[in-house]
Amino acid sequence: MEIGGSKESPEKPKKGKSKTPRKPPKDSVLKQKSPAEFFAENKNIAGFDNPGKCLYTTVRELVENSLDSAESISELPVVEITIEEIEKSKFNSMIGLVNRERVDEELYDDYESTKARVKRLAKEAKNQEVQAKNAAHGKKTKEHTPTKVLKGRGETSFYRVTCKDNGRGMPHDDIPNMFGRVLSGTKYGLKQTRGKFGLGAKMALIWSKMSTGLPIEISSSMKGQNYISFCRLDIDIHRNMPHIHLHEKQQNKERWHGAEIQVIIEGNWTTYRSKILHYMRQMAVITPYAQFIFKFISDTSDKNMTIKFARRTDVMPPVPIETKHHPSSVDLLLIKRLRAETSKQNLLQFLQHEFVNIGKSHAERLIGEMGPDFSPKMDVKSLTDQQIVRIHQLFRQAKFDDPSGECLSPAGEYNLRLGIIKELHPELVATHSGSAQVFEGHPFIVEAGVSLGGKDVKLGLNIFRFANRIPLLFEQGADVVTRTAIKRINWSSYKINQSQDKIGIFVSIVSTKIPFKGTGKEYIGDDINEIASAVKSAIQQCCIQLKTKIVKKIQAREQQERKRNLSKYIPNATGAVYDVLKEMAQSHVSKKKRFEGEDAELLSKVSARLITKDTLSEKLAQHVEQVDYEMALEYATQSGVSEEPRENIFIQALEMNHQFMDFTNPIFVFRLIS
Amino acid sequence: MAAEKKKRRRSEDDDDDAALPFKNRLKPDSVILQILQSFSSSSSAASTSKTLTLSDLSLSTTCREVADLSLTSVQSTIESLVLKIAKSILSGNGFSFDVPSRTSTNQLYVPELDRIVLKDKNTLRPFANVSSVRKSTITARILQLIHQLCMKNIHVTKRDLFYTDVKLFQDQSQSDAVLDDVSCMLGCTRSSLNVIAAEKGVVVGRLIFSDNGDMIDCTKMGMGGKAIPPNIDRVGDMQSDAMFILLVEKDAAYIRLAEDRFYNRFPCIIVTAKGQPDVATRLFLRKMKVELKLPVLALVDSDPYGLKILSVYGCGSKNMSYDSANLTTPDIKWLGVRPSDLDKYKIPEQCRLPMTEQDIKTGKDLLEEDFVKKNPGWVEELTLMVKTKQKAEIQALSTFGFQYLSEVYLPLKLQQKDWL
Repeated sequence: MEIGGSKESPEKPKKGKSKTPRKPPKDSVLKQKSPAEFFAENKNIAGFDNPGKCLYTTVRELVENSLDSAESISELPVVEITIEEIEKSKFNSMIGLVNRERVDEELYDDYESTKARVKRLAKEAKNQEVQAKNAAHGKKTKEHTPTKVLKGRGETSFYRVTCKDNGRGMPHDDIPNMFGRVLSGTKYGLKQTRGKFGLGAKMALIWSKMSTGLPIEISSSMKGQNYISFCRLDIDIHRNMPHIHLHEKQQNKERWHGAEIQVIIEGNWTTYRSKILHYMRQMAVITPYAQFIFKFISDTSDKNMTIKFARRTDVMPPVPIETKHHPSSVDLLLIKRLRAETSKQNLLQFLQHEFVNIGKSHAERLIGEMGPDFSPKMDVKSLTDQQIVRIHQLFRQAKFDDPSGECLSPAGEYNLRLGIIKELHPELVATHSGSAQVFEGHPFIVEAGVSLGGKDVKLGLNIFRFANRIPLLFEQGADVVTRTAIKRINWSSYKINQSQDKIGIFVSIVSTKIPFKGTGKEYIGDDINEIASAVKSAIQQCCIQLKTKIVKKIQAREQQERKRNLSKYIPNATGAVYDVLKEMAQSHVSKKKRFEGEDAELLSKVSARLITKDTLSEKLAQHVEQVDYEMALEYATQSGVSEEPRENIFIQALEMNHQFMDFTNPIFVFRLIS
Repeated sequence: MAAEKKKRRRSEDDDDDAALPFKNRLKPDSVILQILQSFSSSSSAASTSKTLTLSDLSLSTTCREVADLSLTSVQSTIESLVLKIAKSILSGNGFSFDVPSRTSTNQLYVPELDRIVLKDKNTLRPFANVSSVRKSTITARILQLIHQLCMKNIHVTKRDLFYTDVKLFQDQSQSDAVLDDVSCMLGCTRSSLNVIAAEKGVVVGRLIFSDNGDMIDCTKMGMGGKAIPPNIDRVGDMQSDAMFILLVEKDAAYIRLAEDRFYNRFPCIIVTAKGQPDVATRLFLRKMKVELKLPVLALVDSDPYGLKILSVYGCGSKNMSYDSANLTTPDIKWLGVRPSDLDKYKIPEQCRLPMTEQDIKTGKDLLEEDFVKKNPGWVEELTLMVKTKQKAEIQALSTFGFQYLSEVYLPLKLQQKDWL
């Protein structure tokens, strides 16, 4: 908000200057702003901070919309996302602008004065010299990236982002309003959803309008429709209205349903490449039942990539149910709104049906508590403002049962586990799903997974955060999960080395209202005790599961290495003993000191070199061997041949009809795709 | 210059009070000296009574104590042990050491003796076991090295010992720990193994003693004082005209007192081990106490660690409890800085530190310890510390001037006989 505010102020006087120069600020006209205008000016609120982040957020919003859409009709999601780089010249020709060569070089920001060039060349030469020197010495050094030439604004690239899904699709007539009007949406209401504010796709459109001026293209078809709606539109920011270029019905030959959205925006792939890929990967972890195809296309072919995140399961979490408000989470405005919207006549029914956890007798008791001017049969609409305040106060003070977590749709332990295994291939993994808990009247569920080892995992803690089943990538440091994992978990007590092991920590929190901190909906604060303790206990539960496995592993390793570990010390031990014996034998021979009986016998054997260091070592080695054998036998009888329970594997169904060639056998059939 | 300043200060009356609070309560030095004289003689009378030993008590649990052994007896003990091991190996049974356990469960505080002693539990250290193979190998190696020292009759430091086989020992703490095990196992003091620790403690003041035959006058050792010799058997012929021994926790306070020649104003011996006391300092303090029969007053920080250090001097550490008879000095008085002094001497808020959670925990643990419980005054002070959750170092007194410690605080404490 602050950033937006400061941005706004320098703009205003500029406008003022052009129209009426030097007007005192008091006389400024009272202006109104449309929601679209507000978000255009404060686009950082929605995660559109800079071109790179805009590209990332656009991808993210489109993917999340697609998932929500497919899940709402219980269809296993297939999401195809394509980012196509458009060079400036190509972009210009697209919008019908003639490419202009630079005439006055000094006009541009990246113009290099002769002085600067001499400096740069000298620096580069020096760098090369150093590198050559290092190479000669066989030293490995980091590649010096050639000194970056300042990138002017003119050089940021443009990208066509396309997202295609197999979701619900949109009704033909609603499409313009769904994209062309900020703060209009289908996801309002008390329900666990990925998106919330009805901003995502619209913000992408606003950004495309701000950066490229090109409209958005939407194709959509609903199940059973024999046509595809195609719509090309942009948004009238000042009026917060869609501006339709083309809106027509096209043939639907493939009986496809879903939506395809295409938007051309300014972005920065180089700086946000890794973020986008991380996002896709983590999304694949938390939604293993979806299939993602991610493509990047550009003119330079070596940058191109196609990544397919395959589906690993067809078990989908249930669709979250819309729930009623919990009395302790409502505010005055909300009560008034509910009163206006309710179909119930009297106060008793209103309380009973518009809120969760208020039964009939409970409602009657509450009404009795409100005071003499309330009665169960009174008309809800006749409540005065003061009376509503009284209801609100009572809601705040009275005790209610906690809301149940039934309306939530957590990823599920099974899915979380699969996702982790699929994307990280860890050596060990443990997952835990907590029971529903409550924060300020909103139920939440914390699920956690902890993995050890795996590919592409760095040493130490790797934290993956999910809120309502979307990955959180930014502002990790202040997040409740990070803080808990770093500060409140005693890893060593679970035989996990916090800095040496590859630890993956996955925490997914779902709720009807995630208490995000900051403007960007990127992290959950560490100051909510209910959530912090739920996160801690979920992670600890995973660690407890892991600990037994780790201990078993350590034991097995000890078994294997015992003989080696023991034998390693034989020379040291026998050397020490033999040295003392030798000294004693010498003093025995020189008669400095007298030994008798067995001792004398032993010492004379030492002086006669009948007993040497090697004899001792040999005997000790024999003993070690024997002990090792006994212990191995004991271990084997103790542990038996117990094995880990096997897990089901998911074999993907074939997508199309194939021609098969069958090899039949009384017991089984081989079917080869021919 | 300094003397001039002092004189001028004394001539001003009102300002002086503000700068050095409580100074006006100080009586002339002669009066304080008289008080000290009576205290000193009464305590020397008390300490003439025979000190108890373990054998005097009939304890239900048997306890282990070590004694000073001659080099030859150490040598022959090692030799018989090695012979036993060699036979065991040759008969194909491997070998193992039977080492007295020095864990805290095997420690016992004996109130009659006012020190910690070691109970008789032993742990077996077999070679053919993954968890003890390292330790038993190190034990064998240390035994061999000690055997060499005995034959050659020389002293080495713990560091020397460590460097003879760095590859095996890996870390000096490991060889040090096994060294204690060995002396415990052989039943002798660590000094009888001819292994010494580097010099750490220093002493200054009214003390004359002989170090390896050289007479040392600790009033003529300059400002730094005399380093306490690492092996106590070199020390002898102690003479002193001091009235008490002042034990100081911190080097900084020690330097202040030494430079101000505090021991000339009030005849005393000042000792510090600069933090946790080493064996040599503890042996030295005990020797002074026993031979000179002087009372010992301790000046430590007002935090749980100060009291802990005090307890190590007084009752011994758990690590070295097998030799507590030689290492502990009974009847040490807690002079300061005590938690109640913070308010009594109006130490300003900015010089006090809040106790950390760890501090508070240590404080509460200390309250459970027997050696604290036996002294009601200490319990009271410690409870106050844990309650106020404030700690202060000796240096907090410097807020009233660097010399406040030696010019006002200590004299006043001595005058009021304010020790516990």
